[in-house]
Amino acid sequence: MADEETSTEQPKLQFCSELLSPSEQFEARSRSHKIPVRGQKHFLPTGSERQRERLEQSLQEHWTLVGEERVERLGSLVRALWIPGEDVVELQTPAGKFWQTMGYAAHGKQRLLPEEALYLMECGNLQVFHHDLPLSIEEGYERLLSSGRPGLLSLHQYQVFGHLKRLGYVVNRFDPSTVQSRYERQLNLPQSRDRHGHHLKRKRSQSPAHRHAGDQTPPPPEKPAEEGAEPTPPSPPASPVCPDPPLSPPQERSPARGPPQDQSAGAGAGQGLVGGGRDGRTRLAGAGAGAEGGPECLPPLGLQEDPLPRPGLVPPRPPRPPHPPLPPPDPRLLPGALEVGECNVAPWLRQLSLRDERLSRRERDRQRQRSRYHRDVNDDRDVRRCRNWAEYLELRERRWSRRNHGDKPANLWNGSVTPLSQPGHASSHGDLLNQIGVIQSSRLLDDAVSLTIPSQWKISFDVYQPDTVADYKKSNPGKPYTRMCVCSFEGPVPDLQVVKSLSFQSGDVPVTFAAVDRGDISFYCFKDIQLPVDVCH
Amino acid sequence: MSEGVTHIHLTDGSESVDKVDDGDCVTSTVDVACISDENPLLAGISMCGSTPLLWRVADLKMARQAGVIGSLVGSLSRQPRQNTRLGRPLELLDEEARLLAEDGKVMVLPTRDEEKEEDYSERVEHYRQDLEQCHKVQSALALQDKKGALQRVMTDTKNEGSVRDRLEALDRDFSLPVSAITVQLCTARAGLSYHSDEKDFLSASWPVQQDEQAQTRFLVYRDLRRRGFCLTSAGKFGGDYLVYPGDPLCFHAHFIALCVAMNTTTPICDILAMARLGSNVKKTVVLCSPGVTREKLNKEEEEEREVKEREDEVVYTSLQWSGMV
Repeated sequence: MADEETSTEQPKLQFCSELLSPSEQFEARSRSHKIPVRGQKHFLPTGSERQRERLEQSLQEHWTLVGEERVERLGSLVRALWIPGEDVVELQTPAGKFWQTMGYAAHGKQRLLPEEALYLMECGNLQVFHHDLPLSIEEGYERLLSSGRPGLLSLHQYQVFGHLKRLGYVVNRFDPSTVQSRYERQLNLPQSRDRHGHHLKRKRSQSPAHRHAGDQTPPPPEKPAEEGAEPTPPSPPASPVCPDPPLSPPQERSPARGPPQDQSAGAGAGQGLVGGGRDGRTRLAGAGAGAEGGPECLPPLGLQEDPLPRPGLVPPRPPRPPHPPLPPPDPRLLPGALEVGECNVAPWLRQLSLRDERLSRRERDRQRQRSRYHRDVNDDRDVRRCRNWAEYLELRERRWSRRNHGDKPANLWNGSVTPLSQPGHASSHGDLLNQIGVIQSSRLLDDAVSLTIPSQWKISFDVYQPDTVADYKKSNPGKPYTRMCVCSFEGPVPDLQVVKSLSFQSGDVPVTFAAVDRGDISFYCFKDIQLPVDVCH
Repeated sequence: MSEGVTHIHLTDGSESVDKVDDGDCVTSTVDVACISDENPLLAGISMCGSTPLLWRVADLKMARQAGVIGSLVGSLSRQPRQNTRLGRPLELLDEEARLLAEDGKVMVLPTRDEEKEEDYSERVEHYRQDLEQCHKVQSALALQDKKGALQRVMTDTKNEGSVRDRLEALDRDFSLPVSAITVQLCTARAGLSYHSDEKDFLSASWPVQQDEQAQTRFLVYRDLRRRGFCLTSAGKFGGDYLVYPGDPLCFHAHFIALCVAMNTTTPICDILAMARLGSNVKKTVVLCSPGVTREKLNKEEEEEREVKEREDEVVYTSLQWSGMV
């Protein structure tokens, strides 16, 4: 460009032939922006005149297209300065539309990364100056790219960058420190956007004060039964089975008989219910179903017969005589060395909602469904004959050993090779499949924590899809669509260690490999698949 | 100089090749014909990392005439934001660059030192002057354009008076703002910098990485080229080269060339996979193996020549399904 003047007058010098004269630059305003369409290709050269002409014509078009120089209005060019020491390009005039997805501000200046500047130079949006002279694209490739310097991209990386940019993707350099660590992901730390709502939710479920306040207001009319199953029953003997109900019901489980007053004594015991006891009966019933078999053997509690008034809510009823504290249960009935003292039921009763339970049809259906598969231990004749825990445990042991060893044919079980699964050990088809599976399947991210990334491999770019450009914010780019790892056709194919460690580093964003072959770029990725299993779990 | 690398030093018109013999690396003498400034067909390769690039249209044309296709990798100036048609630079395969160098048609431009102390003031001054000149010329052209448009209107309509007034007004105070002039964003390096560097331009060293595979590829490339085929890279087809009967702009590729050294063993499943791939894209897979390498014991000239001929020979094997069921 330094030679524009001379090139008009003299015959063009060999090396300056690509400089346009001012008049040529002026004429470039009105040139076409269409790309000529390629014609059909032939199979074999026949040497015919027509074929020769076709070839000449396409070559002509090709050279016109390739030889065309970029000519832009000076006013629409953004002027920038190359700072070699820092490997950045600093803008000297305000940035254009590209600022939405590229560049950053530092020290009060707008800056571009070298690859962004080079891409914009190629697009005809930017003029980069060095030593007060504009860089040609060739010089741009020389200075803004390098495989040796860490601040600059290699040619291969730039080719992938340019390819994606030309397609409209937003492409950023990948910064490993921005990826959420696995620990953070496990904690499910909220993104800054939805932090507010999240906090509210936690507050509601945590604060006891809030819960107490809620006690004063009318409880929600119905609660789904599942929710009732969540809290564990408050009483200490959450034993697996209750052996001998006919003898005497565990008395600490019938708090309903307690009086509404005398709050202080049982406050400690009552605390357990605070977590979940707003609508008493649903809750207790649900809890019973949830806690493995224990409460099922209890005789019905007295709740239905004498619903107690809740302070300030239910219309007043004639006061009942205060319940005496429950006496401690017979120690023979308790499993192991458990000591249970006298129990004051009054505070418990206050926690219970004594309103009649009205189930919706769906809930009733569900309850029926549940009870159909439900087996009561007390229906078992042998169990009923047991007089205490020791006898019951003995019975169970007897049954267990009979089931496991009794029917085992010697030819299968007495050799050194035995079946992988035992009859009765699998509760579902899926369970059985798991037991007979010799090789366990492994996922892509299993054990990836301990792997190190081989030095020649690294993730280069974060890539965001073109249709998200409108909402894209440089300050908060969000989760990328994919991450890009650049490799060459001559180089090795990534092995399992590379695939695993890179996808672990990338977290929950997939990693795509871009293989560059002489300007031709192929993208491929490795996906975790789960083989379908033909049984329902 | 690193081991296993052949450096070609190109100095004013003469050439010297340093050989480093290193076990499994094949060293070869690259015949670089006499290079001189007058040679009009000399093209300059600029290396970006280890990749040879061509920038000037004249160089591109010259390479095409020599049957070297390469691949365009830059944005097209006419429509930069698409990938179907790309523009300069032209990236060359190592084999292509080497063949051009052998034929004496290219030289490697020096990579410039980052911070060379140079006086830029003269060139900056030149650049400023050019910009001013450009502004002047373009102002005149723009004025001419406007006048032309007005005159065309004048002949068409009757209100000549007002148009003439406007013409005079234009003559008086037309000025094209500097921001409205169009400037060229050079693709190749600007002319002036060339002249000042002409000396280093001719003395450059180009490391040619030569392992066995690269040598095999080069021998195959050269042989196919000499048989008149045009070649491009065939990474997407799982081969080494796509072989065209003529210019790729006008013809379909017929073969996928796969470079296999004579003494390598290849599992049959690989060959089947290649043949299957080839038949899917309606191309024939050709296994290309250069002849046995020269025995170094032969010292007599005649024998040497004979051996050299044999070395140039490449054995081609095509794969075809037999059609038997």
